[in-house]
Amino acid sequence: MPSWSSFQPFIPIGLAAGGVYALSGVGMVVLYRATGVLNLAFGAVGAMGALIAWSMINTWHVPGGIAYATCVLFGGVATLLYGMVFGRLLAARDPLVKAAATLGLALLLLGVMNRLWPAQVTRSISLPTDSSGFNVGSVSVVWTQVIAVGFGIVMTIGTAVFLRVTKIGTAMRALADDREITATLGVPVRRVEAAAWFGSGLLSGAAGLLLADLVTLASDALTFIVIFTLSAALIARLRSLAVTFVASIVIGLVDNLIAPITSITNFRDMTPFVLAVAALLFFARGRQYSFARGGIR
Amino acid sequence: MEATGSVTSLRSSLASSVHLRRSEAINLVVVIAVVLFAVLALPSMLSLYWIDTATAAVVYAIVALGLGLLVGRVGMISLGQVAVLALGGWVGAKLLFATSLPYPVALVATGLITMVLGTLIGLPALRVSGLYLALVTLMLAGAITVVLVDTNFPNGGKGFLGYNDISTGTPPSIRRPSIASSDPAFFRYSVIVALLMFLLALWHIRGKPGRAWVAIRQSEPAALAAGVNVTVYKMWAFALASFVTGVAGALLGSSSRVLYAYQFPTSQSIVLFAVVLMGGVYTLWGAVIAAALLQILPGAFTLWGVSNDWATILFGVGVLQVLTTAPAGIAHQFPRDAAKLGKLLFGLARRLAPAGGRAP
Repeated sequence: MPSWSSFQPFIPIGLAAGGVYALSGVGMVVLYRATGVLNLAFGAVGAMGALIAWSMINTWHVPGGIAYATCVLFGGVATLLYGMVFGRLLAARDPLVKAAATLGLALLLLGVMNRLWPAQVTRSISLPTDSSGFNVGSVSVVWTQVIAVGFGIVMTIGTAVFLRVTKIGTAMRALADDREITATLGVPVRRVEAAAWFGSGLLSGAAGLLLADLVTLASDALTFIVIFTLSAALIARLRSLAVTFVASIVIGLVDNLIAPITSITNFRDMTPFVLAVAALLFFARGRQYSFARGGIR
Repeated sequence: MEATGSVTSLRSSLASSVHLRRSEAINLVVVIAVVLFAVLALPSMLSLYWIDTATAAVVYAIVALGLGLLVGRVGMISLGQVAVLALGGWVGAKLLFATSLPYPVALVATGLITMVLGTLIGLPALRVSGLYLALVTLMLAGAITVVLVDTNFPNGGKGFLGYNDISTGTPPSIRRPSIASSDPAFFRYSVIVALLMFLLALWHIRGKPGRAWVAIRQSEPAALAAGVNVTVYKMWAFALASFVTGVAGALLGSSSRVLYAYQFPTSQSIVLFAVVLMGGVYTLWGAVIAAALLQILPGAFTLWGVSNDWATILFGVGVLQVLTTAPAGIAHQFPRDAAKLGKLLFGLARRLAPAGGRAP
């Protein structure tokens, strides 16, 4: 077992990753609650936004701020467009079909990304907040990591308050309970859903940008980093924002704190799978059977 | 009155059964023709490149069969079938290197071991909602990739992993059956194995499990009320899909001689799901179409110098199209559209013919 000092540098890295998973998780859970769509293309949209920002900075020499804003905005607009077209077409279908359809979007974006930004070129995005930081004991922390954790916390609390206090938030919670009855009550269902799509999309853009900086800027890796977020969302049973946040931080920390342990370091990216299966076993304890809705209908 | 009624119903049921038998007979003739053509004529018509591509297509048809069974018959979505295929490839390579079992026995053993492993992995998710199964299997796809990068595939080395880190020269190749050591012969062998797997699936679909699966797909509460043990039959379907996928994995190893972890990326599971949906999940022909989309199309793209990314884009659009407008996929849509087109052309030709006749 390595000494405590070799674990220390991985704590801020793990917390930062957990923070980004948390803000992705919040975006996914809110969208799922409001529209019934589990957006499996969340990572792909963010990856594409980050790649666009990279091209703006490195090819067209656009100022960083504008490029980063474009990345976040791309996430919002792309997700909104998908929601307006396919969200509506599939509104009456089973959640499983809705989730499967987003895989179509993920594949489409993955193909486009590999076409426009070939994987052979190594790319990276470095936010200005990477260059400065501070020390906690012997561990150095950069501001981007602080922003990632802080953004995760702010988004979790902010979204929870938004859903509870604002009119549109209340409408989203009503939609989550029953779409038909909510529509009957005079809530502009489509406008509320559009808000959920757009908001969730903005979060995917922001997460894509942060992950491109903190982890890597590669289309495949960023598309499937969604697996970490999915694990957190699954542990929260696609319901609780607080549990999503805690699970995200735990997954980020466990994944990174395993890194210095040489015997299992190669298997550290199995963390989301192992934790999700453990959670499923915990959910199913003592339960005879739970009805599943499924199938291509 | 009653007698007349019963005679009418008898006649209509007879008619429908005769009709069914005829459509089945057509299907049977087509299947026999396709298999005979593939086994006897095809290998001599194709170049080595296309024989290898066609062998891969046959192997992936078995994988698509397993996934199509889950999605179409039971209504379960597994996004980790390529991971199960990799598992089968690993077990198959291990058995073929470590033992001198006759090839067919090794195939069946690989299928059975993969079945046990696959079912164990899927078990926690089978009792919760279908969405969770999809998520857990997607994570499984990611997790297996991680393990394979570390363990690699057996290549005749020592120890449990059976992997030798060979930096120079060609590694020893995974065994093929003695009657099918050449590429064309192995293609024929794969077609026969695939046929057996399709028959195994058909036997299940026609039997008691198939009826239970239909009930589960329609409504789980109703199936439960009707006395169907939902968990057992879902597990059964998962086990059957894992079995055929395991057999396919062993075939894949023997076909490509050496297996590498990079052949099984997480994205491949998603692509497989896409082509299975596009092919059509309600008939077994869908699996054949899916395999053609997955292997033959990129094979042609490579030959024409077209980037494979276009195939990925096409599959993405295909998933959206199938789920929004044609849930039964190409296998259902194509014959229907072709018949419509035929009727349209026939009508046009008939309308144009007299006009053409009258012209001086």
